Amino acid sequence: MEDERIFSDICGGRLALQRRYYSSFCREFCVSCPRLSLRSLTSVTCTVWLVAYGLFTLCENSTILSAAIFITVLGLLGYLHFVKIDQETLLIIDSLGIQMTSSYASGKENTTFIEMDKVKDIVINEAIYMQKVIYYLCILLKDPREPQKISQVVPVFQSAKPRLDCLIEVYKSCQEVLAHQKATTTRS
Amino acid sequence: MACRGGGDHVKLPSPPLSSVNPGSFATCPTSFHNICMVSDFFYPNMGGVESHIYQLSQCLIQRGHKVIIVTHAYEDRKGIRYLTNGLKVYYLPLKVMYNQSTATTLFHSLPLLRYIFVRERVTVVHSHSSFSSLAHDALFHAKTMGLHTVFTDHSLFGFADVSSVLTNKLLTVSLCDTNHIICVSYTSKENTVLRAALNPEIVSVIPNAVDPTDFTPDPCKRHGSITIVVVSRLVYRKGIDLLCGIIPKLCQKYQNLNFIIGGEGPKRIILEEVREKYELHDRVRLLGALEHKDVRDVLVQGHIFLNTSLTEAFCMAIVEAASCGLQIVSTRVGGIPEVLPENLIVLCEPSVKSLCEGLEKTILQLNSGALPTPENIHNIVKTFYTWTNVAQRTEKVYELVLSEDVLSLNERLDRLISHCGSVTGHMFALLAVLNYLFLIFLRWIIPDSLIDIAVDATGPRGAWTHHYPHSEKRDDNEKVSETR
Amino acid sequence: MCDQPVTNTKEVKWQKVLYKRQPFPDNYVDRRFLEELRKNIYARKYQYWAVVFESSVVIQQLCSVCVFVVIWWYMDEGLLAPHWLLATGLASSLIGYVLFDLIDGGEGRQKSGRTRWADLKSALVFITFTYGFSPVLKTLTESVSTDTIYAMSVFMLLGHLIFFDYGANAAIVSSTLSLNMAIFASVCLASRLPRSLHAFIMVTFAIQIFALWPMLQKKMKACTPRSYVGVTLLFAFSAFGGLLSISAVGAILFALLLVSISCLCPFYLIRLQLFKENIHGPWDEAEIKEDLSRFLS
Repeated sequence: MEDERIFSDICGGRLALQRRYYSSFCREFCVSCPRLSLRSLTSVTCTVWLVAYGLFTLCENSTILSAAIFITVLGLLGYLHFVKIDQETLLIIDSLGIQMTSSYASGKENTTFIEMDKVKDIVINEAIYMQKVIYYLCILLKDPREPQKISQVVPVFQSAKPRLDCLIEVYKSCQEVLAHQKATTTRS
Repeated sequence: MACRGGGDHVKLPSPPLSSVNPGSFATCPTSFHNICMVSDFFYPNMGGVESHIYQLSQCLIQRGHKVIIVTHAYEDRKGIRYLTNGLKVYYLPLKVMYNQSTATTLFHSLPLLRYIFVRERVTVVHSHSSFSSLAHDALFHAKTMGLHTVFTDHSLFGFADVSSVLTNKLLTVSLCDTNHIICVSYTSKENTVLRAALNPEIVSVIPNAVDPTDFTPDPCKRHGSITIVVVSRLVYRKGIDLLCGIIPKLCQKYQNLNFIIGGEGPKRIILEEVREKYELHDRVRLLGALEHKDVRDVLVQGHIFLNTSLTEAFCMAIVEAASCGLQIVSTRVGGIPEVLPENLIVLCEPSVKSLCEGLEKTILQLNSGALPTPENIHNIVKTFYTWTNVAQRTEKVYELVLSEDVLSLNERLDRLISHCGSVTGHMFALLAVLNYLFLIFLRWIIPDSLIDIAVDATGPRGAWTHHYPHSEKRDDNEKVSETR
Repeated sequence: MCDQPVTNTKEVKWQKVLYKRQPFPDNYVDRRFLEELRKNIYARKYQYWAVVFESSVVIQQLCSVCVFVVIWWYMDEGLLAPHWLLATGLASSLIGYVLFDLIDGGEGRQKSGRTRWADLKSALVFITFTYGFSPVLKTLTESVSTDTIYAMSVFMLLGHLIFFDYGANAAIVSSTLSLNMAIFASVCLASRLPRSLHAFIMVTFAIQIFALWPMLQKKMKACTPRSYVGVTLLFAFSAFGGLLSISAVGAILFALLLVSISCLCPFYLIRLQLFKENIHGPWDEAEIKEDLSRFLS
């Protein structure tokens, strides 16, 4: 089963949430931001170039222009490779664990896997972020020495920052899986 | 979880007193409000304002309102935390300037405060303490956003020196368009009305309260000899210099007299000097800083409670001590004469001679057995000040405030200019306009519709108080508090 | 709050107590509201002539500066022989020294425990050092232009007048700073005199008039106010006379200044008292009136 719904992030941008239910114990959530739009790319490039021309007319030094070319090209590459995350995926498998993947616009992928017996819970938390108070989904990890305590909080969808309605969707599905997992471990 | 004793136990307030103002207090409020308490002073900082805010919030939550608290971050305690009964506290990352009060630019806190006011759907902003700049900032922003405002003043201020002239002017500006002001005693009301040039009709007097179940007498803890207890911060304003005169005088006169002094502060050194000089090590015990929960155990060891304050708006300490069954000897300053009836307190002038006379009289009565028993005193005092009563009266203020209109921007500017003098008035009117423009800018950057409405923990739809009253299960309403 | 049933308000009297539940709304304003308000209870009542008498300290200091400048001008013009000034200065210092002890019958001396020998020693040390360094003083400011010297002297003398200890308890008062500024001004002016002997005598004179003379004045003011008034008048007239011999306009302006300070300013001060509005009440911080230090020391 697979469906896609449109939500928005905390700044009002469009987000698409894809849910793939492989089985009732294995679910995948994929939050994708819109791709880099041509308009914003053009406007940034134009600004850099206008500034460069302005400086050029002032100092009459042509290295500025070549520097501007380098800056735009390197900046774009760096942005696509290290900053712009197109897609964040949360894969939760009942008996195995949780895998979080973030794919950069350049195609680079970053994957983190958390074993299920380390996971204490998945909750929605509140935080003060920049001049905002936001909700975010996070995975609570058990302290290996004291299972009642929490050793670490791992935020999910860190770059997309979806709003609460989207988070609740994901949260509810995850809780279903976790509940099933708990039920099976207590039974066995 | 932050509050006293881990905050995992729910303290039910004593049932509302039926003797309260016949027919005026309904036991159940007619409507529920979303109240935001703002002050720089909150736990983990300790003091009168802090416990006032906490206890009042708890009682309002019990009565079905939604209450949140906004304060500044204390060291690593920042972000959002929940206390007992789902009391939500925002510890905002603002810079502390002096004495736990934040630095203010009047504008920089607007984005965050606006976000909080919108997401919590706050209807009444209730600021506490005139020393707190965050409280004044919040009032300013709330008025810009068209919210109803209430201010509680906890302290007295003179008129003599330059600094008080300045702060009084700022208070005038801050309070001239606030809907309602609450003071803790009649003296404090007179003081605030004069300082801020207010109409006395918009100032209510609602005293502080103590939890009588926290302060119960225990006469068997007392020793044979007479013990005088002093619990206060050891600073000049609490009259510790007077205490330094009283101790040697009385100790020389009465051989079976002991002093227990709880508290910490810069004046501790002179108490130690006095103890050293008159060799009173076995009779004067200096306990140092006390935790609030230990205060009762110290109080019950004594027969007489001595308060030497030089200025005091309400003085919770003497009510706590009286609730523990001690006879009170205090200076006649500020609002203290209003606090207890004459048979429970001996009032003296703020001088060593007068205080010694008062103490000697009390010691005489004590030896002759003319004083009421601790149980009796406790039973009388217990009925005086309860948080439920305070909460009910505060609720009345909220209802009154909500029935009023918030001043529109031009009315507000008129009020500022006509009320605060031409120079200050125009200056702050300009600032108010700038603040309004800033707000419009913020609304354009992040429209209200983009701000997620927070899940209520308390209040009529409060998930914490209603749906899962005893549940330990973690769900999306119960979140671990942590900041990134 | 306001919806209180006001049935028995007429009979029940409002009390200024918090422990009683009273049938009044919380924002009730009684007739007794602010009845404990007091105004201007600590305001001082000024007597005109007392203020005039107190202003004489300022007059004295202005005259000192004036006399100093006049003497310097005479020396600079060569109208006053340095020996003559030295002789008068020494004589008046001796008279002042004797008077200083006579006025209070040697009480101050006993209190401070200073011997005459110590006084003589410090006087000798000072005079020898000033004499030894006077050639240096003379050439010290050669490279500085005369206008700068004059400007600096004016500023320093003004500073001396501003920071002088007139008996007010204010942060700006600093008698050391004031004395230092006066001496600096005297050094500046002395360096423009023709010979090093002149410079030496000028600096000695500055010490006499700016350091020793105010001490004597203070004692006179405390012990014999009548003679103090006489001395002040005499001093003022001599300063006026000295200035008159140099410039008539300056003398008249100086006289106007003295009159306005000693007569108009006190009058204005007393008039301004009418506008004083100092609020007192039970909220004021109590003052500890007793001396508590005896319990400690």
